[in-house]
Amino acid sequence: METVIRGLILYVFLMLIFRISGKRTLYEATVFDFVLLLIIAETAEQALVGEDHSLMNSFVLIITLLLTDISLSLLKQKYKGFGNVLDGVPVILLDDGKLLHERLKKVRVDEADIMESARALRGLERLDQIKYAILEKDGKITIIPKEQEQKEIEKV
Amino acid sequence: MRKHRGELDIDEDIQLESTNWKVQRVAWVVMAIFVLAALLGFTGDGGIGNLQSLKAGDSAEGLEVEYERFIRRSAPAEIKVKLHASTSDSLTDLHLSKDFYEHLKIDKVVPEPAEVYTTEQGITYRFATARQPFSVTFYLTPKGMGSLPLHFSTAEKQVAITQFIHP
Repeated sequence: METVIRGLILYVFLMLIFRISGKRTLYEATVFDFVLLLIIAETAEQALVGEDHSLMNSFVLIITLLLTDISLSLLKQKYKGFGNVLDGVPVILLDDGKLLHERLKKVRVDEADIMESARALRGLERLDQIKYAILEKDGKITIIPKEQEQKEIEKV
Repeated sequence: MRKHRGELDIDEDIQLESTNWKVQRVAWVVMAIFVLAALLGFTGDGGIGNLQSLKAGDSAEGLEVEYERFIRRSAPAEIKVKLHASTSDSLTDLHLSKDFYEHLKIDKVVPEPAEVYTTEQGITYRFATARQPFSVTFYLTPKGMGSLPLHFSTAEKQVAITQFIHP
């Protein structure tokens, strides 16, 4: 029974902690973020398993975590509002060519991050070629270029 | 799905997101307070200035207990007891309440007692020593969780302490 409770508590705790740390925290993993993720994983593993290294403990734990995940995804599908609270919603950062500075500050993203995505995803060279930049709920920045740029991309 | 500027299909909910940003900021402050509490020893495992290392009783009066206010489940802990050896008998009894062995796993007792026995009320350690005063260290691993009131008593004196076991 303890394994199930431990699994559930840690699942909820990790979900909350990553939710409040913001979307971008572990998306674009720098070397340091990668180390941080490894440390969190290792610490969580110890708290989850404790001193019980039996196979049964692993089975109980894995099934508990997967079942929790499935249950949550079903709930998110059924109640959209619940999903939005849990996963967040996409946020427009650059609207019709204009940077929304207040939002950039809140989500801890800067122009350089937007340009990085613009170069990587669309091969764009300048900020003024972008029509919309959207911070998706998984922390990724997607780019929609202005129409003339779109046509040029399509030509290439 | 909603339309932004009549062209972009996006389920943006800026009201929800701004609430989320506010919650995030509050949560960051809570996290900072948590770290501060950990540094001050409120989460167990010591802390700056050993603020949570407490003493109860008085060694001059025959019984003193040194303990940590906060301990953690499954993590090693220590309780040090200083007591006067009995003058009328070569053996000195230290009696502890039942919660002691029910919520704590006793890994080691230094010095080793000559005899240990349990009763309805608790557990008694009988030490054979003539040294004055002598100290006994209990090396423990907490099994339970929550508040743990403990009573220590010798023939002359009683001391009560309360520890808190974090999960």
